[in-house]
Amino acid sequence: MAANMRGLTQFIADIRGARVRELEEKRINKEMANIRKKFKDGNLDGYQKKKYVAKIIFTYILGYKVDIGHLEAVNLISSSKYSEKQIVCLSFTGDGNSLALVQGYLAVTLLMHENSDFLRLVVNSIRKDLDENNEVHNCLALHAIANVGSSEMAEALAEDVHRLLISPTSMTFVKKKAALTLLRLYRKRPEVIPAVEWALRLVSLMDDQDLGVVLCVTSLITALAQDHPDAFAVCYTKAVDRLHRIGIEHEYSGIYTYYKVPAPWLQVKLLRLLQYYPPTEDMTLKNVLNETLQTIMTSSAEPSRNVQHNNAQNAVLFEAISLAIHLDTRSPLVDTAAVLLARFISSKETNVRYLGLDTMAHLAARSETLDPLKKHQGTIILSLRDKDISVRRRALDLLYSMCDVDNSELIVGELLRYLKVADYVLREEMVLKIAILTEKYASSYKWYVDTILQLISAAGDHVGEEVWYRVVQIVTNTEDLQAYAARVVFEYLKTPSVHESLVKVGGYILGEYGHLIANEPGYSPIEQFQVLHSKSQFCVAPTRSILLSTYIKWVNVFPEIKPQLINIFERYRHVLDAELQQRACEYYALACLPDDNEMLQNVCEEMPPFPPRVSGLTSRLNRKMTDTEDKRTWIHGGREINLEQQQMTTLVRPKQAELPVNDSATASGTADSAVLNALAGLDLTVPSEAGESAPAPRLTVGPSIDKWYQKLTYSAEGVLYEDVQIQIGIKSRFQGYLGQLAIYFGNKVSAPLTSFTSTIYVSDSAALSATFAKIPANVLAPRTQSQQLLQVECKKVFTCPPILTVSFLAGAYQSISIRLPVIVTKFSEGVKFGQADFFERWKLIGGFPREAQVVFPISLDAAGHIDLPHNRRIVSGNHFEILDGIDPNPSNIVGAAVLHTSVEGKVGCLLRLEPNREAKLCRLTVRSTSEEVATAVQRLVETALRME
Amino acid sequence: MIHAVLIFNTSGIPRLTKFYTPLHQSSQTVVQKIFSLISVRPQGLCNFLDAPELEAFLGPKDGSNERWRVVYRNYATLYFVFVVDGAESELGILDLIQVFVEALDRSFQNVCELDLVFHFDEVHHILAEIIQGGLVLETNVEEINSSVKSALKARKDSFVSSNPLALGGSVGGSRNGGLPTPLNWLTDRLTGVSGR
Repeated sequence: MAANMRGLTQFIADIRGARVRELEEKRINKEMANIRKKFKDGNLDGYQKKKYVAKIIFTYILGYKVDIGHLEAVNLISSSKYSEKQIVCLSFTGDGNSLALVQGYLAVTLLMHENSDFLRLVVNSIRKDLDENNEVHNCLALHAIANVGSSEMAEALAEDVHRLLISPTSMTFVKKKAALTLLRLYRKRPEVIPAVEWALRLVSLMDDQDLGVVLCVTSLITALAQDHPDAFAVCYTKAVDRLHRIGIEHEYSGIYTYYKVPAPWLQVKLLRLLQYYPPTEDMTLKNVLNETLQTIMTSSAEPSRNVQHNNAQNAVLFEAISLAIHLDTRSPLVDTAAVLLARFISSKETNVRYLGLDTMAHLAARSETLDPLKKHQGTIILSLRDKDISVRRRALDLLYSMCDVDNSELIVGELLRYLKVADYVLREEMVLKIAILTEKYASSYKWYVDTILQLISAAGDHVGEEVWYRVVQIVTNTEDLQAYAARVVFEYLKTPSVHESLVKVGGYILGEYGHLIANEPGYSPIEQFQVLHSKSQFCVAPTRSILLSTYIKWVNVFPEIKPQLINIFERYRHVLDAELQQRACEYYALACLPDDNEMLQNVCEEMPPFPPRVSGLTSRLNRKMTDTEDKRTWIHGGREINLEQQQMTTLVRPKQAELPVNDSATASGTADSAVLNALAGLDLTVPSEAGESAPAPRLTVGPSIDKWYQKLTYSAEGVLYEDVQIQIGIKSRFQGYLGQLAIYFGNKVSAPLTSFTSTIYVSDSAALSATFAKIPANVLAPRTQSQQLLQVECKKVFTCPPILTVSFLAGAYQSISIRLPVIVTKFSEGVKFGQADFFERWKLIGGFPREAQVVFPISLDAAGHIDLPHNRRIVSGNHFEILDGIDPNPSNIVGAAVLHTSVEGKVGCLLRLEPNREAKLCRLTVRSTSEEVATAVQRLVETALRME
Repeated sequence: MIHAVLIFNTSGIPRLTKFYTPLHQSSQTVVQKIFSLISVRPQGLCNFLDAPELEAFLGPKDGSNERWRVVYRNYATLYFVFVVDGAESELGILDLIQVFVEALDRSFQNVCELDLVFHFDEVHHILAEIIQGGLVLETNVEEINSSVKSALKARKDSFVSSNPLALGGSVGGSRNGGLPTPLNWLTDRLTGVSGR
């Protein structure tokens, strides 16, 4: 387009031709003045407006502040011409803040209500473009929203964007843009997106044929799933499945290979998504995932010549290693990874070294044992002297993470040595980290004091206040250390140039504990005084006031130097600094009191120990995370700190929205608020744990659904669900406490059912487990049937059957939730008893509470008789052995069974059914050694009998 | 998330600036800051740079140990710079820069710095097909190219319909004859430049 605008080309050429900056500025000012005038005169056609806006944008790109043309830009948006619309998008995109600028500009020029009308106008024309049938216009509108993404737009347009995303008629490039636009709006205003409600529909898009769409949707889901992990739980299976299909089955379209690596970005995204979830419990998924990760690691063992190929392969590999570490640090996969990483950190490629160290820090942060890493300690320490600062930083982080009691002296020593030559920008962070490590892994207090004092003297300017506060706290609280600390600090003070922080520490420690060493040669009161006071003239006022306090303490314990001290107070009474003056006056008065006055002694009592406190250091290092940004999956530091962090985030997350106070409190980063925050986290433990598990899916209702289900409770196979599109059938087999269900899904229509997903919900996973044997295929071809095997295991007695949720896309998105006929009696086996045996046991169990009895009405068959075969079918279908000849009445049924559970063992169960034809009533009695079983079985058999 | 995409030449003159997060200071100073960080790094160092210095411009990055990361790549006279956060894979971004360059090269046929100067709008359109709102939209060069082409066609059509008398209507993309000869700064882009 620029080629068609001579004026614009000329303008650009002029600017390029400008020799010096002044000339360039002059040219721009001239042009801007011209444009301003043109705009003011008005009467411009679309082409002219476009040209001027283009010039403005070019000026903006050069970095000049531009404050005109936004209004014209917005006018162009409502133009019907594509080229005019497009330049507007550009003008928005040229500047993330453009709309803010528009508003700022308007706020001055227009009245308030006009302003709001005006914004509505923008939103309206964007909506018009979204609704249009022209995909290219849709894209432009989406693009504008994604780049401006104001909260007004989020509110007004989220629905429209979502519609474009899920509409089956949308082109792939529209879907991609819509997904990212939705994400943008979510980041801006999370509350306008009903994430939980849309969850399943959005996840189903991960099965799209086009990998580009999958990539964008995965980005969206990664963000949403972090805030709503339960609602989006299905995405875990989808991600594993997709990785498996790309990595192992090589199922991807050729255009998505990048230098022979299949869809590296998508793989990285998926691997990252999986790290936001806790490691899966499902054995099937676990195996598939392990296999996939294994393949990724083996295939990248051979580095190739091509740089791009290596880059892409390593990108996937590093993410895979991170996931392996996340899943289980003890797995053989991680051992393989550790070997790979060791090779990486001594690689010739700087990028690989950098990422190797980074990932190793992840391993160190999670791993239970640091031994495999310690083998490479030497290499890592060498990396501190790498020629690249980025690598040096990573090495520092890694050393920080892998430090423990055994190697702390070595690592801290090495860091201290490096500190003296370290880059200026690195020092403050290093000091903080050294201080933390020294405190955390100190093997002896002496070492602690030595190291910290060495640290302060080596990097004085970079030592934050909290470092020396902490030394004082620890020395005060540790009696054994006090004399030693006083001696060491005194030695430091004797050196000619001493950093001010050290003078502060020295002042405090000698004031409190100087008297402990005063009798040793070389540490006499007068020497202490002279050394300390010689530093005073180089110090700022706050330090001097600390020294004054030291002197008043000495007046108390060292009467022999009292005259010198009083002399100093007297002099300081006349300094200009108010604080110093006040202290000096007060101390002077205190020191001049007669000797028998106890006032001074009382004031100068030894400091009581500090209450135990969380170190302020770590909280400064680990600040809190924000809401909708992608969170980190791990942080630097040892294993405990990561566990802690995980707990914090999982516990606080559900409440975060309602507790904005929490955030602001931690922002200050003080030790106290960190403690408060930790407590707040604890408080939430109880309620959040109760609400932890996902809510049960709402059951689909239909006239026959109950009947189908009930029938299957006492038969091994049959239809579970059927409608115009799909039929679900069941075949089941049970053996002891284990069972296997073959679930058949039949597609009855002539179109494929895509994004076919089936999930199982079990309300009490401690009592019943249900897992699919493998990840099901996600497409159900027309008029075919697919089978899925479900393994169930009864651990304890349970009352709620598992719920199967099936969802698929057949034009629109559909989802069906139905109960599976897996009930407790399925896990029982019939037992044969003779009459005597039966009654002996019947009596042994006795009545209430181990007996459950109910009387309920029955209906008779057509001939007016009790439907005996039906009753027998139900009782035996519930896996009872029907014992004939025990009850004299032939229409009564007596049964016995043993229920198998894997955790609670076997439970015996006896049953008696006595129908009465005249009264049309029936009495059902169940006795069992377990009260729970008796009630549960009675309910189940009763419901089956009542159902006609 | 990708927070900024910048292209500047070896003298620090910006050729493309695109920010996906609001800036705290003028974009010129940010570019200068990043340029001063990168230009001093000799060849052979890694393409990643932790940049706590950028907090002053882009706001502090909260979260533990979280920092702005600069991923850059040098092609002849130009630096391609992406500013990202911890949620992006560094190598992935490096690959993305390569994709961006390849896409530019497809559209301009042997792209050179002058193309970016005179067709700045086109560069923005191409970038828009790769990254949208700070997230990766498309990574496949073919796909990017076809989207760019279809947008180009739409623009051309609307141009022709509004200017029936215009000749040729050569819009964007192709360089017109009046411009200086290309510097061919990217001729060795796929072979010689390597990952630096």
